[in-house]
Order: sequence, then structure tokens, then C-alpha cells
Amino acid sequence: MIAEPRHIVPPGMLDANLRVRGRVPYAIDVVLPGMLHAKLLRSPYAHARIVSVDATRARALPGVHAVLTGPDLAARDDIFPYFGPIFRDQAVLAIDKVRFVGDPVAAVAAIDIDVAQAALDLINVEYDELPAVFNVDEALEPGAPIVHDEPRRLGQTFADIIVRAEADTNVCNHFKLRKGDVERGFAEADHVFEDVFTSPPVQHVPMETHNCVATIEAGIIRVTTATQMPFAVRASLAEIFKVSQAKVRVTTPTLGGGYGAKTYTKVEPVAALLAQATGRPVKIHLTREEEFVTITKHGVKIQMKTGVTKDGRIVARKSTCLFNTGAYADIGPRLIKNGGYATGGPHYIPNVWVDSYAVYTNLPPAGAFRGYGVSQAAWAYETQMDMIAAKLGWDALEFRMKNLLEDGQSVMTGEDMFDAHFKELLTTATARIGWDPAEEPRRNGSKVRAKGFACIIKGTVTPSTSTAAAKLNEDGSLQILSSAVEMGQGAETALSVLAAEGLDLELGQVSISRPDTDVTPYDQGTSSSRNTHSMGTAVGMAVADIRRQLLALAAEQLEVDPADLELVAGRVQARGAPSTSIAYGDLVRASRSGNLLANSVYASKGGLDPETGQGIGSVHWHQAAAAVEVEVDLATGKIDLLRYHAGVYAGRIVNPVQAELQTEGNIAFGLGQALFEEMVFDGGQLQNGNLGDYMIASIEDMPQEISLGILEHLESNDIHGIGETSLPPAMPAIGNAVFRATGVRITDLPITPEKVLRGLRARAVEESAE
Amino acid sequence: MRGSLVFYHPTTLQEAIGLLGEHGEEAKVVAGSTALTILMRQRLIAPSVLVSIGAIPGLDGIEERDGAIRIGAMVRHRDVELSELVRARVPVLAETFGVVANVRVRNAATVGGVLAESDYASDPPAVFVALDAEIEVRGPGGERTIPARDFFVAFYETALEPNEIVTAIRIPIPVTGSGTAYHKFVSRSSEDRPCVGVAALVHLASDGTCADLRVAVGAAAETPQRFPNVEALAVGQTLTPELTGRIGDAYADAIDTLDDMRGSAWYRTEMVRVWVGRAIETATDAAADRSAPG
Repeated sequence: MIAEPRHIVPPGMLDANLRVRGRVPYAIDVVLPGMLHAKLLRSPYAHARIVSVDATRARALPGVHAVLTGPDLAARDDIFPYFGPIFRDQAVLAIDKVRFVGDPVAAVAAIDIDVAQAALDLINVEYDELPAVFNVDEALEPGAPIVHDEPRRLGQTFADIIVRAEADTNVCNHFKLRKGDVERGFAEADHVFEDVFTSPPVQHVPMETHNCVATIEAGIIRVTTATQMPFAVRASLAEIFKVSQAKVRVTTPTLGGGYGAKTYTKVEPVAALLAQATGRPVKIHLTREEEFVTITKHGVKIQMKTGVTKDGRIVARKSTCLFNTGAYADIGPRLIKNGGYATGGPHYIPNVWVDSYAVYTNLPPAGAFRGYGVSQAAWAYETQMDMIAAKLGWDALEFRMKNLLEDGQSVMTGEDMFDAHFKELLTTATARIGWDPAEEPRRNGSKVRAKGFACIIKGTVTPSTSTAAAKLNEDGSLQILSSAVEMGQGAETALSVLAAEGLDLELGQVSISRPDTDVTPYDQGTSSSRNTHSMGTAVGMAVADIRRQLLALAAEQLEVDPADLELVAGRVQARGAPSTSIAYGDLVRASRSGNLLANSVYASKGGLDPETGQGIGSVHWHQAAAAVEVEVDLATGKIDLLRYHAGVYAGRIVNPVQAELQTEGNIAFGLGQALFEEMVFDGGQLQNGNLGDYMIASIEDMPQEISLGILEHLESNDIHGIGETSLPPAMPAIGNAVFRATGVRITDLPITPEKVLRGLRARAVEESAE
Repeated sequence: MRGSLVFYHPTTLQEAIGLLGEHGEEAKVVAGSTALTILMRQRLIAPSVLVSIGAIPGLDGIEERDGAIRIGAMVRHRDVELSELVRARVPVLAETFGVVANVRVRNAATVGGVLAESDYASDPPAVFVALDAEIEVRGPGGERTIPARDFFVAFYETALEPNEIVTAIRIPIPVTGSGTAYHKFVSRSSEDRPCVGVAALVHLASDGTCADLRVAVGAAAETPQRFPNVEALAVGQTLTPELTGRIGDAYADAIDTLDDMRGSAWYRTEMVRVWVGRAIETATDAAADRSAPG
């Protein structure tokens, strides 16, 4: 943990100036001599057997250097043509069958994009169409088409994942949580509520689409790629090429956004195989339309049953979560764990039962998405909390306050809560929008205003590992070698602050490396809002080691007891005697070691029992609340956001400017998903796979007034992740406000004007019948 | 295949029309390229010849002539939005061009382009139809003028003959005492195209009754929808909420609404009902303001 007397407050993102001037290079800017361009031929069918692939004419086209097909890859012994973080269920190019509209079946490397595109048109693929399945209920029915009828290829798995796949079904994985005795809990309940909540698949829409450049030189597979997980990509490429990880080098420049889309392997294997086939560097850069079918947020159906006593305590909850993981597992088998246990919510519930499933269908693969399953869970439980309060005539805030977790109460995964701030967050949020339970919705013409709120809990990947190295140079400057990925979130700035504080240096005397698997030490990945906590801790540990070395060296040089020495502005000095001091650089030179070196490993502990889902779910618990005032036009159902307060617990705020920007970003993400974002499919064919037809929030959609409450408690001596944390409460807070304004309860996202108007009409019919 | 694309930059209309004649179906006119580029990237169309009209002089002016505002085909949306002349003479036109997409699109998209594309979900066509605008076109046979209400034929289909090019549009300046309005209703993001868009013009007589009503509904059907027989209900009458409600109902009944991701046919019909009424009310208020003494 970081416990330094002086906290540096950075001015925002350190390289903001270079970024806005377009001077920061991205992977897409990489141009290598002789570089070829790759394009993928994609399946027009949701589910079909591949009868034959004929690329003869494409190969003959001038400018084409190589064409690869699934059958070509399957026939080779020198490679293992599959990838996937848990199941190796995704072929680099489809082998035997295609499983979604957009599944790559062939790849071309050519002198330019136009030639590559023209070559695709010359490839003949003969398909034998198969029955397909798109929604989770149909996929689980007996006799449903089976998306993966081959034996599951389980790779070396993760410490925190329990795999319970059911052969010959579309169940990709099943997570179980059993806390207390749920049936006894329901027996104790005075009221039991059972509801179904759905969330649709949506798109991450990073500004930079997936891309990479691959070369194979002197037996080294080298890939520069826009990934959140360079080491996962390295492991995957080593497995595919059947070489040691030491023969694969992955480098990652800054990303143009990730949001989970760039976790794990995506376009790197096909680029590397084309580089191998051509002997040239090969670049692949997906179009926006391709990005839409590369990875999505999970669509989910959650059935939630909650029992409460008449004095307002929640005594039991049972959830069944059906996550639509699409055609390939990606990280779905783990995400359903986080999304599943999250349905326990930020409340103390003694009896919880969760069955959470990842279900294969013939839709594009779903994977990590900002919020990691927790958004879908929070949409269910925070909507249901309001439904319960409304039905029983309770004050929705008081009902929350009775149940929100306090220190020492057990969370859904069984461990005791600590550093709990839910009540403080929700109290602040509701106060900021002037919540008053007695306040009636305010009507003005056809417009009506009302308020709503929500409060959530989110785990971070546990256990997990970050490692770092520090080098103190002979001029006293500090270099941190880290594999943290900068994707606009400010990893470099946050780590610079933590490193500089540890040695009392200026920010300008510290540099943070970009990931390079040949040079920088291992990190699990930049995801799960873990970087500032996890890599920050690792960096702090490495710097603390350098500090100890400096003190020992200085004690020798100055002939002062190390306990009487302190680090001040790049010098070690005797406490109370600044004239007795020596610069770091002089100590490095005196040591004759060239530089001072330190390595560190931060590995969090935890994990869940495979049968009960009890154990340590998260190294600490992320907490957030949102409160919103909406205005609904009763004639159209259209929703405007008037006021929005986002509250999130940070432990320590390392970079105030970027903490606020991350939180505002979550508001934009959240309101888009609350009000209109949805990938719409017809027979497996995406109907809105471009930014003309698929809407994300624009600046005009932002609430008229935003207030942010980033809660800091320095005495906690901890840093909490805030990258995703304030996103999940957005959707239920908005839905709850819309209900209060209109009496219309929407349980299936997004809350479109049409759904609201239909609800208003249905209510009018009911009222006139009464 | 984009590699074989030939790009021409003629400097006269004659030359441009000649190129279109020479290449026939293979050729497309390009102006601001905001729509054409998307269609080509999505491989919905694959022309082998592009004929830019950007280098042809005389297509980029906004002027007042014979009681009308004349806007050249190459004038950008942003220029219409900011034009002092348009703002003074036909403010609703500036307002409408100002709500199209975002400023980046408006800085590129042209007036000729939005006409020739005939996308049902564009904002300006409804206003042009409501204001009885006339479109000037030039083809191998010379010049002709097409009323806006006849110009939009179907989805992405206009009354343009092969090898004809839109050169300008003339919008009659509404008579004194008129009020106008355009309501763009979006059901998703603020930068979305309209779910429905309604343009209205109300001319109030000195006694406050309605002397002229024109209402055109965009984005609800394949082409902008206008019903003179319904508009006639208002003439000589006071525009009470009851009457505007009846006109809204009549438009809702008359339009065979379409179904897309911005709303079902049912929802669109309901939105036509609401927004026709609101557009008439806004236009009536504007007319009353303008005819008010002082």
C-alpha cells in the first residue's frame, strides 16, 4: 500500500497536449517496409457446414501474396489453429462449420486493401446451411441445434474459473452460488417477488477498431497490437504456432479505447499466420462493420426471486441468469461468474442462490464489456428493489438503507464486507438531486418530472497478478517497466504519480514503459478496473525496494543510521540536517551498479468454492450510486435527463481530473444503454452494424446538470478501481425515475420512447376499465 | 472494386452531363459525399465512375430573386444554417439545416446531395415540400423545374431523369403574416435522423383566422407526406387545439407509416398525430408574433 506523506496531484493526463495534437502513435499508425494488408471473407450464414472453399482464382489475382482458408489450417500439423481464453473453441478461420454471420472463413494478404477486397470476391465457399439458434431459451430447449458439437477443448485455465460445461448442449459454462439456505429464507419471508429482466447485446464502439501488424523474423513472431492483454495474446500465439512464449514478442502502443473489447486474442493469429505465409509484415485493421461482429456485450435474461420480511429486510434471493455468449466462449465462462454473483447486490442477504449460465448461440461472440456482467445484474436487482418498495408502499431509499451492506456483514460470496460506503454514497446521491419520498411527480403540460436512484457493488478480478520493475538511473531519474496498457484511462499518469511519490521525485523525472513482452514484466491485463490498484501496488512495491537500497547506500556514504534518513526531492538527507545529504544519482554512481534495480510481484488472494460460490470473491469491493431526475413527455414517451449525480468510492483519488472524466464517461455509456443502445438481429443478421444505424450517446444527450461525488477515504490506505464502477447504477436509476414519472415499469432494456408510450396506453386502458 | 474507380472533375455542367451520358449506370454524381461514401463502403452501390460537381462554378450561391431564395446545389448544410439571408427570409430553413446530424456532417453535406439522395429519413425534404419549393435540374435536354412535392418519388428515388443533375432549389419566401416551424423528433440519440419530422406553415388573416396552412411530414413514409385536403380544413377557421388535433388525427390516418429501428409503424402514426399538432401550434404562435403590432 502507498503511505507517503506527500501526495502529488497531476494536472490531468500527462500527455494530453500530444494527444489532442495527434502526436501519440497508435498501432494503426505502424507502417513497415513491404507491409501487406489483410482482409477477411466472412460467413453470410448464421450456422452452416463448410462443404468446400475454393481460393484458386483469388490466389491468381495480381497483388495477392497469400490466401488462407480454414481447411488449409486444419490440414497442418505445425500449428494448432484455435484460440479462446478458456475454451479453444474459436478457429482462426472457420473449420468444418461457421457459427455466426460474420465468422471469418478465409483471409487474404495483398499489396493493398483494394486488391485484398477484390480477392475476397474471387473465393468460392460452398455452404450447407444448418438450423440456427439465437436466443437463450431456444438454445436450452431439448433438440435445439448445437452450436459446438465437437468435444470442448479446454486450455490451461485461470485460477478463478470453474468450468462446468455440459457436453451435447449449448451450455458453455454454469456458475453456482449457494449461500445460507434459500428455501428457509423464502419460508421466513412475508412477501416474495419474482420478475424477469433483460438486457440486449450492445457494442463497445472504441474509436480505434481492432488492428495489429505481425511479422515473423528470424523465428520470432512479432506483433504490434491494440490489446488490453499483451501477455494473453503472447500465450495464445505461442500455442497456435507451437513455439515457446520466448519466441513471441507482443508490443502494445496506446489504445484508442478498449472498454473490454480488446481483452484476449482477436485479430492477431490471422495476421501472424499471413505473415508466416508471405514472409512479409501483414497489417489487419477491422472496419467498423467488422468491429460490430467481433465482440459484444452479453445479452442476458435474469429471473430474480426475492423474499422480504414485513419490516423491510431482504431474507432470500434466487437468480437464474442466462447470458447469451454467442458463437464462441471468449471470456463468457468467467463473466457469468461475476455477473452471476453480482445479482446478490450490495445488500446483506443471508440466503442467496444463483445459477448463472453462459449459453452458446449463433450470434457474434460476447465477452468482456465495461461493467463485466454487473450492469446486467444491477439492472435486475435495483429495478426489482424499486418494484418491491412501490408494491409494498415503502420509501425506496429507506428500504435500501435497511439492507445496504455494512462492515462485518457477509457479502454474497460469503466474506465479510470491509470499507463499506454504500450508505454514504446513496445518501449523498439522493441529497444532491433533492430526493424527498413525499414529493409527487411534477407535471407541466405534457411533461412530467421525477427522480430515481440506484446503488451497486462490483468485484474486481480476484485473484490476480501484476508485476513491475524499477530502474533508478545514474542521473537520479526513475524508469518503471510495466505492462499496464494505456487506453486513454490514464494508466501512465496514475503510475507516474505513485512512482514519483515513492521516491519524492517530480513527475518529469519518471517514465512509464509501454508493454513489450520481451522487456516488461508480466501483467494479467488492463481490465476489471484493476490497474491503478493492482499495478499501482506492484509499482509501489518496486519503488519501495529502490528506496530501501537508497537508504542503505546513503547510510554508508553519510555515516548516518538509515532510520535517521529521509528522501526529499531527489536526495537522501539526515532528518533535521539538510546539509548532510546526497543526490540519488551520486548514490547510484557510488554503488558502481550502473543503476539500482528492483522487481516486484503483487498477487491478490482469493477464489470461490466450485459448489457454493463462497470464498473471497473480490480483493475489495467497488461501490457506486447514481441519482437522476428525468423529464418524460407523456405524449411521446421521450425521456430527457435533467440532473444526474454519479457517486463512486475511490479509496484514494490518484488523479482527480481523470477520475472525474472516467465517471462522466460512465454516465455517457450508461445513458446510451439505458435509453437506446441495442444490437438488433434478424435471423442472426445484424440490422444496425454501423454508426449510422447504431446510436451511441452524443454530447447533446448528456444530462443538463451533472454532479460527481468521488468519495475519498485516505485512512483506508487503498485505491479502488473507478473505471467501470459508476456505470452499472445508471440504467436502473434512470428506469426507476421513469417509473416514478409515468407509472410505467420497463424491465427490458433499453427504455425507448415507444416502450414508455405503449406502457402509458396500457395503463390508460387499465384505468378506464377500473 | 474501389481500385478501378475513375474520378472526374468537370468544370462545366455540360461536361458533367456528358460524362454521365457516356458512362450511364456506372456513373454517380458526387457533391459532399457524406451519403455516397457510406453506400460505397457498405458495398450497397459500386459505381466505377464518380463525377464531382464541386469544380463547376455557379452552384454555390444563396441569393434572393423574384420573391424566392435560390440555393445552389453545392451549398453546404452549414452555409444554409448560418446564412443571414436565409435566417431573415425563411428562418425555418436555417433551423432545419441546423438540426441535421452534427456540425461535421453539415460542413460537408450539400443541398443538392440531400435532394438527389431522397433518403426518407432526411430533415430538409419535408420543409421543401411544405414551402412549395421548386428544384432546378439540368440534363441533356436542357433545364427544367420540378416542384418539390413531385421530386421525391420513393425510397432513394427521385423524378430526375438519367443524366440530369440538380443545380439549385428555389424556396418562395413566405408571405408576411406567415409563421413556420420544423419539429424534428428523435427517438434515440440527439444526433440520430428523425423518427418523424414535421414542417408547417401557417398564414393568419388579419382577423386571426387561418388563411393558409401547409403541413408536410418527413421520415414517416417513403417520401414527405402532404395532404392539401386536410390542410383545407383549417382555412377560414381559428386554429384551436381541437382543430389542430383533428388535423393531426387526419394526417395520422392518411399516412401509411413505415417501421424501422427508430419506431414501429404504430409508434410513428402516434408521433405523426402529436407532432403535426405541435408543429401547427408553433407555426401559429410564430405567425401571431409576426402579425402582432410593433
